[in-house]
Amino acid sequence: MLRQVLSITWKDLKILFKDIGGMAVLFLMPMMFIIVMSTALQGTFDPGDTGQPRHLPVVNLDSGGLAAEAIAQLDNIDGIEVETAWEDEPLTRERAEALVSDGDRAVAVVFPADFSARVEGRLEDAEARATIELITDPAVSTQFIAPIQGMVFGVAERVAETALIPARLEAGLAEVLTHLPGEAQIPLDEMTIEAEETNVVHMEQVAPPGMGIEVFPDSYQQNVPGYTVFGVFFIVATMAESILREKQEGTFRRLLVAPLPKPILLAGKLLPYYLVNLLQVAVMFGVAHFLFGMALGQPAALLAVSLALAAAATGLGVLVATFGKTQTQISGLSVLLTLTMSAMGGCLVPTFAMPDFMQTLARFTPHGWAMQGFQDVLVRGYGLVGVWPEAAVLLGFAAVFFLVAVWRFRFD
Amino acid sequence: MSENIIEAQGLVKRYGDVEAVRGLSFAIRHGEVFGFLGPNGAGKTTTISMLSCLLEPSDGTAIVAGHDVVKAPQQVKRRIGLVPQELALYPTLSARDNLNFYGRIYGLHGRALRQRVDETLEMVGLAERASGAVETFSGGMKRRLNIAAGLLHCPEVLFLDEPTVGVDPQSRNAIFEHVERLNAAGMTILYTTHYMEEAERLCHRVAIIDQGRIIALDTPYKLVADLGGGIIHLGVANGMAEGLLDQIRALPEVRAATRLDGKVKVEATRAQEALVSLLALFNRTDTDVTALEVLEPNLETVFLHLTGKRLRD
Repeated sequence: MLRQVLSITWKDLKILFKDIGGMAVLFLMPMMFIIVMSTALQGTFDPGDTGQPRHLPVVNLDSGGLAAEAIAQLDNIDGIEVETAWEDEPLTRERAEALVSDGDRAVAVVFPADFSARVEGRLEDAEARATIELITDPAVSTQFIAPIQGMVFGVAERVAETALIPARLEAGLAEVLTHLPGEAQIPLDEMTIEAEETNVVHMEQVAPPGMGIEVFPDSYQQNVPGYTVFGVFFIVATMAESILREKQEGTFRRLLVAPLPKPILLAGKLLPYYLVNLLQVAVMFGVAHFLFGMALGQPAALLAVSLALAAAATGLGVLVATFGKTQTQISGLSVLLTLTMSAMGGCLVPTFAMPDFMQTLARFTPHGWAMQGFQDVLVRGYGLVGVWPEAAVLLGFAAVFFLVAVWRFRFD
Repeated sequence: MSENIIEAQGLVKRYGDVEAVRGLSFAIRHGEVFGFLGPNGAGKTTTISMLSCLLEPSDGTAIVAGHDVVKAPQQVKRRIGLVPQELALYPTLSARDNLNFYGRIYGLHGRALRQRVDETLEMVGLAERASGAVETFSGGMKRRLNIAAGLLHCPEVLFLDEPTVGVDPQSRNAIFEHVERLNAAGMTILYTTHYMEEAERLCHRVAIIDQGRIIALDTPYKLVADLGGGIIHLGVANGMAEGLLDQIRALPEVRAATRLDGKVKVEATRAQEALVSLLALFNRTDTDVTALEVLEPNLETVFLHLTGKRLRD
């Protein structure tokens, strides 16, 4: 009996190793996943002193010296790399807004012209506040913003308080001198109370111009598009396997003998899966809307991104079918592509938490563009005009996938 | 109009260094049942694939129903039907759904489609099982439906690629009758098989094909007649005495005799009479016969004679 088992094992090993492509994919897939996920999450999990620094563009408009002092202290914090210049030019407010709105940076800090003056004015007016502006992309989660916000606030507050100490001491001593002798203890108590009153600095969070509503994404707005895009691309495996099965079972041979041009035949194979994709999007967003109250933004814009996304996913399905010659190759290649591109494109990990080069790589995946398109609609409140670049790029991906598939498709 | 509906000239199909088809030239007449007889891997399916525009020839030309298979594939495809060797059906769909699908692919719709599907189901004897899922059908029923799917659009030429593989004798007979009926209605049929009985029964002319080449082409009657009265294989103990082969060749019923792997292969004009003479000769020369095989004259014997191997090897 053992001999029979070994014979079967040997036979199957021979078959497997004859399929070099299939075997390569089996090894490549987990490897790629490990590499991509590890690299993508580097910024999130590293303690800061050894990992990728978080770039923090800071605009200093302060006519006094306090903002410069705060910026210098921020720059000394491990894991933060303050950027006060961009492309050899001092950073302006407009440039900082552009960096955030273009997705190059998730957050930027602006010290206003009257920062020092307002801090110092606190001595005259107990209600005075020095306001620091935090320019953020509304789509960036608060989990990412909060630590930066806390750090900037803490440093600015410390600098402000430190700046106020000599003046306060002076005022306090003057007060003491006025009341001497006998009542010295009263003003000293008042000074202690004064010192506990912090919040000289106030932080205001703003969105760059054009990024309509200032609503921050909740977990649904982050995860629903993420996993919808992730799920939509799983059609690739189903579709490619179906095409392969048709080839193997002879039905495709019969169809290829019919007077049908190849693109029509492939389009016919594509359409049902395209519809399934649209259904997937409708169900995912429908559930999120009706059960969890997620706002859907402008329907036309949402539809445009969905239509383009489904085209890209099904186009990739046809293309994968032309690369895989066995079921193992097809499923391995599909999983490899869908998982890798989902991770790279920000479906599993938000792109803003990734290092710069990974954010650049995201732009080479349809997933990245689809995520951006959906978040433009759901979070930033963009309409049809706002999402056309994402929809156009997705349709471009679809066209390239499909044309290469038509070119590569061979009966033999 | 040309007398021939298919004309192939020097057809070649290469896969890298391997030549699956090596310069086939033949012509098939209108209304003919033309057979490709040869073992598995002889190049029959590859040739059909080139004629039906599935594969582009590496060399040579082929005209099918008046159109070049490379220059006008869509014109050719409209005029041909293919019944592939595989059961090219969707198992979870019903027989009618399968035919409806293939009919629509060929541009049939509405009443014309319904009518053709009904006629075709009736013709292959599946009208009563039209609603049944194909996966519940017997092997023979699936084969008949496989043929039906190639007939919906009334092609001028039908390519039948090993249509009886794996079916029981009853279903095989039913398939023969369908082929004969279709041909009687004027359809030209190219029939590939490695069963010589099928080629003998159905085909007006047969091309015997081996290793990508046509090694004989004629009517089954003529091919068999050319061979003569059959072949006798003789195993001889202790080798063969000097001059015995010449004595065998001198027998009046023997056309030719050759040594073949320790045996003697005798081509006879009349097998039974030659056998009597051979045994008498061996008796006279004290030659011990260890094996004896008499092959009746048929296409199998012709193939064996031409290639030295059997069709089902």
